[in-house]
Amino acid sequence: MEAIKIYLTLFATSIKARMEYKASFLFYIFAILSFYIGQIGLLFVLLSRFHQIKGWAMGEMIFLYSLHAFAYGFTNLIFSQLVNFDKMVVDGEFDRVLVRPLSPLGQVMFSKFEVSTAAHLIIGFTALYYGSHLAGIVWTLNKALLFPVIVGGGVLIAGGIRLMVTAVAFWTLRNQSLVHTVIFSSKEFINYPVNIYNIGMQFFLTFIFPIAFINFYPAHFFLDRSGEGLLHPALEMGTPIVGIIVFTISIFTWKVGVNHYQSTGS
Amino acid sequence: MQHDNIAIEVKSLRKEFKVSSSGKGFLGKLQALFHRRHKIITAVKDIDFKISRGEFVGYVGENGAGKSTTIKMLTGILVPTSGTAEVNGIVPYKNRKKNAAKIGVVFGQRTQLWWDLPVRESFDLLRVIFRVSRSEFDRQMDKLEQALDLKPLLEMPVRKLSLGQRMRCDLAASLIHNPPVLFLDEPTIGLDVLAKENIRNFLAEINREEGTTIILTTHDMNDIEQLCKRLIILEEGRIMFDGETEFLKQKFVHEKVIEVEFHEDGCVIQGIPGVTVVREQGCKKWLTLDNDNSGIGEVIGTIASQYKIKDISVKEPSVESIIRNIYDNRVRLSTPSGKSFTE
Repeated sequence: MEAIKIYLTLFATSIKARMEYKASFLFYIFAILSFYIGQIGLLFVLLSRFHQIKGWAMGEMIFLYSLHAFAYGFTNLIFSQLVNFDKMVVDGEFDRVLVRPLSPLGQVMFSKFEVSTAAHLIIGFTALYYGSHLAGIVWTLNKALLFPVIVGGGVLIAGGIRLMVTAVAFWTLRNQSLVHTVIFSSKEFINYPVNIYNIGMQFFLTFIFPIAFINFYPAHFFLDRSGEGLLHPALEMGTPIVGIIVFTISIFTWKVGVNHYQSTGS
Repeated sequence: MQHDNIAIEVKSLRKEFKVSSSGKGFLGKLQALFHRRHKIITAVKDIDFKISRGEFVGYVGENGAGKSTTIKMLTGILVPTSGTAEVNGIVPYKNRKKNAAKIGVVFGQRTQLWWDLPVRESFDLLRVIFRVSRSEFDRQMDKLEQALDLKPLLEMPVRKLSLGQRMRCDLAASLIHNPPVLFLDEPTIGLDVLAKENIRNFLAEINREEGTTIILTTHDMNDIEQLCKRLIILEEGRIMFDGETEFLKQKFVHEKVIEVEFHEDGCVIQGIPGVTVVREQGCKKWLTLDNDNSGIGEVIGTIASQYKIKDISVKEPSVESIIRNIYDNRVRLSTPSGKSFTE
């Protein structure tokens, strides 16, 4: 309990520190919003020409997008500092984290406030509203209760992947190119329903790099769609379990990494 | 508990680093991309020592001797390759959080304060992180504020502090939870004389009044002379001396230099028994004793009776010159415990 209070204090401090630079704060929100508006615009163009993609209509696509935006929004809020973690390793700044009576991972996670979350969530809510409206989703109590669980599972998957990639810095020091490929470029895959890819790719996105569980599989449940391709009905509900597995592995990787930390020269 | 009196215990502690070496030139680098070659560098080579509560120990050595690596293992930052270390009876690299609660750490080159926040807020945050109660914190801060003259700095953002001011704040930050053991890695680096003096006075005071065990690495030998009763000298990862600073000075007492300024009339001296002239500058001459047996008083007496002198003084050997001597000549040293430290 006390640890939570400490983390919240750390978190509040990082917000204060961030507010020291107000202009950059606002520009950042602006950049994120324009990025999303661009992406959704592209989606509109595609759908207005083809009307549907692999059997997914506009509303369904937008709902798919909303799950994605929520998961990445919260992931960015909680794990944003991990993106620049290699700098902490290279500069030896991680030293400081290790000499405090708090979990190193907790300290790294709460040491920075990522304002872009606000933008992700705005997009998430908008897409959720229009998506469920256009796709005619009937929100039963079950669905309403499971929605946050699925988003939580998605956060564990996206966050776990991010944490694993981050921990690589303990061995290689620099890992920016890996971060950008694995974290940022890869998420483009799930802007579209995964069944548009060939079976090998679907397998990869399901069992090896399981980001399809962030939106594609659970969307079937919310949209009352029947499965096709790789989809087994059980996978619809797989998100929380996959999330826990991925995150457990990533915590383990991180812990091994911390013991491998070499600091910098004297 | 038998550990009651021991603050730090280190047994055959060793740290190896794997360094990947890339080849020379373009082709070598290209080759290294596909075929990584690793080199093992041993920074600390099976060292042993014990430090009792309340000691003030200087931990010195040239760059790359393994000082910082040792400190980093004792603070839980690095995991040793082999051997063991205990601080306050805790194994630091296995029990980081528990260890951190009972030590203070200052890295001279790196601040542990929040760069963009006023100093006061950093302190507040550390209070929360180290779970110090309000009343305890207020009491400790009162003391620190006075001793380190922090009042005028508290509202300033850390990024606007000078190096000396920042160091005072960092010292205070490391002591908020009143730790029994304090590690200082070059706390006086880059400071001016006055700032150094203030920091030294403060360190001597907390060592004396609070009984804080302090381990200090430094390149400034004045720090050692003024503060550290005990000295551990490291060379290439091995301990080459571990004993009292005073013992070292005694051992090198024949390094004492007599500085004499003779009167212009009798400037030419015909050799005084037991003395060598090491330097001269007009009528000013510097003499050293040939061996530590000849009494310095006797020699001065002889000089004074045979020559007209204007001024005479005796210079103590500085620890710096002693250590340089040790490095340069690999002087055979034996400590009071009878251990010999030559290779």
